[in-house]
Amino acid sequence: MPRATNAPATKARRKRTLKKAKGYYGNKSRLYRYAKDAVQHAGRYAYRDRKKKKGEFRQLWIVRINAACRPLGISYSRLMNGLLAAGIELDRKQLSEMAIHDEAAFAAIVEKAKSALAEKTPA
Amino acid sequence: MKTTLAKPDLERKWYVVDATGQNLGRLSVKIANILRGRHKPIYTPHIDTGDFVVVINADKIKLTGKKEEQKLYMFHTGWFGNEYYRSVAAMRQKKPAFIIEHSVKGMLPRNKLARAMMKKLKVYAGAEHPHEAQQPISFEG
Repeated sequence: MPRATNAPATKARRKRTLKKAKGYYGNKSRLYRYAKDAVQHAGRYAYRDRKKKKGEFRQLWIVRINAACRPLGISYSRLMNGLLAAGIELDRKQLSEMAIHDEAAFAAIVEKAKSALAEKTPA
Repeated sequence: MKTTLAKPDLERKWYVVDATGQNLGRLSVKIANILRGRHKPIYTPHIDTGDFVVVINADKIKLTGKKEEQKLYMFHTGWFGNEYYRSVAAMRQKKPAFIIEHSVKGMLPRNKLARAMMKKLKVYAGAEHPHEAQQPISFEG
């Protein structure tokens, strides 16, 4: 009896994998043997990094807010504490975008945070 | 709204700092942060957003403790047995700018951007520098 290998399905499956590996370096875009591994890894990294992306952007916003508020005489952590005390619920993304596009508004918010801090801790 | 990312062609300022009597590491952090652009709200990790830094009096940088004699910089020519060491004191004599350049370089990311950032750092041993035309702003180290 002839061996049934279901060649059309195998070929289609391998072609699908190689299509996903387009643009990869060297063997990984040309040979199924290496492309399979690379595609599997790519999927895992993509899934993991979609979650990491949230934290990475938050890190960036914090660096930016810190850069913007230090010349105004307050550190990032003090500013955040002041905003909490003042009841301002702008998130870090909004604050960092304000620092870039609307310096005056950012400075006004920093002033509010400062006065809230001063009230909270009697000198 | 998406997070704003900096465009590669941005205006760059010039800063000048006097290294006289300053601690090496403390000063280097501040220089490295300006070269990276971490002092700007538009800081973007994958783009060089930093400014230029001119350091004057680099030969008068201070190192605490016994590092003057004990801290060694290692070099290797690539030939067998041809590694050699220079103390801070020897470097200060021979090539005073190296001390600060080496220290700042170690604080930058290990990538191509770092090389672009290093090009914005100008270190001079004396009190004079040829960048007056750029009107550098002095900053306290």
